[in-house]
Amino acid sequence: MEREEALEKIAAARALIREVARETDSPLVAQCMRFAEQNLHWAQWNLGEFTSLAPELEGSQPTSVP
Amino acid sequence: MATQPYYTPRAASSPYWNPYLETLPRAQLDALQLTKVQALVRHAYEHSAFYRRRFDEAGLHPDDIRTLDDYKRKVPLTDKSDFIRYQDERPPYGDTGAVPEEYVGHHCETSGTTGSPLRIPLTPYDTERYGEGWCYGWWGLGIRPHDSFYFAFNWGLFAGFWSAYWGLRRFGAKLLSGGGQNSEGHVRLMQRLRPTVLVSTPTYALHLAEVARELGIEPASIGVKFTYHAGEPGPNAVPAMRRQLEESWGARAGELLGLGEQHAFAPGCPTGEGVHVDESAMFAWVRDPQSGEEVPEGEVGENILTSFTNNAQPLLNYRTHDLVRPYRSCACGRTWTFFRGVVLGRTDFMVTVRGTNVYQSAVENVLGGIAGLSHHYELVLTREKGLDQMAVRAEPAPDYPADAYATLAAAAARAIREALKVRLDVILLPPGTLPRYELKTKRIVDQRPREVRYALER
Repeated sequence: MEREEALEKIAAARALIREVARETDSPLVAQCMRFAEQNLHWAQWNLGEFTSLAPELEGSQPTSVP
Repeated sequence: MATQPYYTPRAASSPYWNPYLETLPRAQLDALQLTKVQALVRHAYEHSAFYRRRFDEAGLHPDDIRTLDDYKRKVPLTDKSDFIRYQDERPPYGDTGAVPEEYVGHHCETSGTTGSPLRIPLTPYDTERYGEGWCYGWWGLGIRPHDSFYFAFNWGLFAGFWSAYWGLRRFGAKLLSGGGQNSEGHVRLMQRLRPTVLVSTPTYALHLAEVARELGIEPASIGVKFTYHAGEPGPNAVPAMRRQLEESWGARAGELLGLGEQHAFAPGCPTGEGVHVDESAMFAWVRDPQSGEEVPEGEVGENILTSFTNNAQPLLNYRTHDLVRPYRSCACGRTWTFFRGVVLGRTDFMVTVRGTNVYQSAVENVLGGIAGLSHHYELVLTREKGLDQMAVRAEPAPDYPADAYATLAAAAARAIREALKVRLDVILLPPGTLPRYELKTKRIVDQRPREVRYALER
């Protein structure tokens, strides 16, 4: 599979996973989605597609500088 | 089974773990590095009081970093002592952390042999990224996920060992843990479990081979196909070490260069002549310790690292104190920065003897090639009349005749003089005299006054 096609499919998969993560009532499933999304971010990163630095902090409010 | 069934034939036959990024042309790689560096600078500035203060003091804002040269020149250098000081002031991570503590999934530490240990917070995702550094070297050497790995170490708080485990999880191979064993226990467990890969420090792999022979077990009969090393100069740094390892185990030896607080950052090149910076996860440049300028390709300077795998405690323009010789291309086809000879020495242990820079690795290479010498040796640094001096203390091989020690010492001194153009005293000690180490072998004994050296040890 060519890189561009792979990136397109990975981005679509991330969107689906985020949707499940937002809506699920199962901590287990939420955790599965978290790991899955991080792995897909890592696949994008390693195909040279920069989307963000730290997806584990997205959707949260990390500590700001006092 | 040749390899895991989920690989396409093209992936299975790839010489690279990550073909796209490992061979990306330099201009594209640099453009990508700039994007990552800019994001990291912003992350550090916004979430770490330490970096906010450092940047403000330097009159610097993340928007000022428009090129990689801007980054190298404008972002203040950081050092291990900075982090230890702030961590000690306000444990556990002081102002240096950049995520709330509840985001830290794994806490590691350096050994702290010279004082307080450096605490290393990592998010769960940091550990995944960190582990990946090992996979490049394993795959490049020919190790595959169907191999079985024996880890001849205990984990404790040491990031280097844990990172090998994180890497193995990503790689998909089988782990045979040697945790809790002494040397004889390792040998017997390996003989029973038949791993195909041994992971340890290089000197400990040689020690295990000695122990196996003492037990009447020929190490090569165990069936290890690869030995893989980190923690101290290994087969890609010291060719003599490669020969000893490969002859002892009947296996192919590889090496990774890592730095606990940063990353498993430079997997071994399959050419066996050095390591490549993992430019997926790192940005590295090499600085002349005197002028502060970047050294040209092929010149020796200090490795300055920036990690994208440690977002919990960002490490920007971090001084490693390691002297390296960088190249931009390599016969293996990787475009990632290549350090020929791995680490040549330490800036804090750099000695100039009678006008000649003497690198630790160069001396080790000569010693490793002298028949009759064992791999147990240390380099003693002293200061006499304002000048650095270096002497070698070494043990002959156990079966070497004691009445020939003087001849062997003279031969070693002559070999050093011919190879390095410098005269060093060589003192031979009876076998078993020098200390043995299971973690990192201490090769340098620095007896110079504190004011003329830096006491920073890993």
